[in-house]
Amino acid sequence: MCFLLNSSHHHSIHCIVPPYMLRVLALRGDPRTAEMARTLLKQTEKLRDERAELTRAGLPPDQPLGGAYATSAVTPAKDLCCPDRRIHDGQFRAALPGKLVRSEGQDPTGIADADTAYDAAGQVFSLFAEEYGRNSLDGEGMPLIATVHHRRDYNNAFWNGTQMAYGTGDGKIFRTFLELSVIGHEMAHGVIQHSGGLIYENQSGALNESIADVFGSLALQRALGQEVHQADWLVGRGILGPGINGVALRSMKAPGTAYADDLLGQDPQPWHMDHFVTTTDDNGGVHINSGIPNHAFYLFCAYLGGRSWELPGRVWYRALQTLNNPMASFSDWADQTMDSAIELAGRGSIETVMLRRAWKLVGIAI
Amino acid sequence: MIIEIAAQGGFGGMAAARLRKTIDVDDQPEQMRQELCDAFGPDELARLARQPCGACADRMTYRITVTEDCESHSFTLHEQQIPPEMLDLIDQM
Ligand SMILES: [Zn+2]
Repeated sequence: MCFLLNSSHHHSIHCIVPPYMLRVLALRGDPRTAEMARTLLKQTEKLRDERAELTRAGLPPDQPLGGAYATSAVTPAKDLCCPDRRIHDGQFRAALPGKLVRSEGQDPTGIADADTAYDAAGQVFSLFAEEYGRNSLDGEGMPLIATVHHRRDYNNAFWNGTQMAYGTGDGKIFRTFLELSVIGHEMAHGVIQHSGGLIYENQSGALNESIADVFGSLALQRALGQEVHQADWLVGRGILGPGINGVALRSMKAPGTAYADDLLGQDPQPWHMDHFVTTTDDNGGVHINSGIPNHAFYLFCAYLGGRSWELPGRVWYRALQTLNNPMASFSDWADQTMDSAIELAGRGSIETVMLRRAWKLVGIAI
Repeated sequence: MIIEIAAQGGFGGMAAARLRKTIDVDDQPEQMRQELCDAFGPDELARLARQPCGACADRMTYRITVTEDCESHSFTLHEQQIPPEMLDLIDQM
């Protein structure tokens, strides 16, 4: 595949496998292939840096984005390569991160939850890296640390600011949390935190939740190769307990319809501002009102057709990087997505028309 | 001493899925009784409630009420304010 040629003057790499493919191999190849791909990538990147230094000499650096909370991750990271996954077994206790059971490049452990967490973290890394040019959750290649078997009968999954943690569920309400849209959701909380953040209460908190659902769903759709009308737009499909009457935790296509159960009640998500829920529970209904921006994203994708992680995902990702307002309201966010759509698709484009229509349908005028 | 714990929040955000536990510490074996008394003393809970809460995406909130000698004290603690050993105790209840 690749040839490392030794000459008397220097090492040069003649590689017919492009960096993109190497990244895929590093992610999905067996441990030996992955290791080989990582080594080659490091070499090609070093080479590219050297070339870039020569050609960029004397030119000003790329213009950074303005604003205290805006991040530089809009421009693809230049040393973007491969994930550094570290999966731990919490052994049903609360201490984090627990016992390290699988590091990057190692063979499967045979612990189903740990192997799912490893594979899914790779798919989420790949979404942000290959589609949006982002190097890990912080944009600077931070390790992807996750703990499975967190606590006993624990009905939850979370991002704690530095790592992901997944319970097993109690077997009644939840049977697992190791599902790609859930894992993508938790990892997206890390991306949001490192993109200026969104305060985790009321509307900005519901946006934080919604953006996490969007990228969780996109990670799943991309892994399955589904276009908008093939996808189910569910978050946490199959994670509810066997006796629960419901298909998932949330539905972006039809908020409020994911479950209706004697024990759990009815999925409380609204899809329109007329049904916005005012409550002090759940940090001001962050997991409830996220249904509204979730549905706007779904509508935008449905109007455009095709692959949702492409233009719609890029619009949402860019809006997150340029938002510069941790206390943004739904309306602020809608405006920001429009600015991004204009930048990516052009003023007056069909995409911007459809985006305005999507927000209008959920009761938000832009 | 009676300890009542009600948890809400989390990734699911389901109000109906709230966890509730009540434990009568006097009915516990000696070692457990001592651990519970140390962890759930009102002074200790008040100290924990003053800790910074940090990142809170999808975290749970615990309402803990301790009743002793007809006197009740209630505290609201975020999951990340509670030390892991105490969370293990809650899980064992
Ligand atoms: Zn969340």
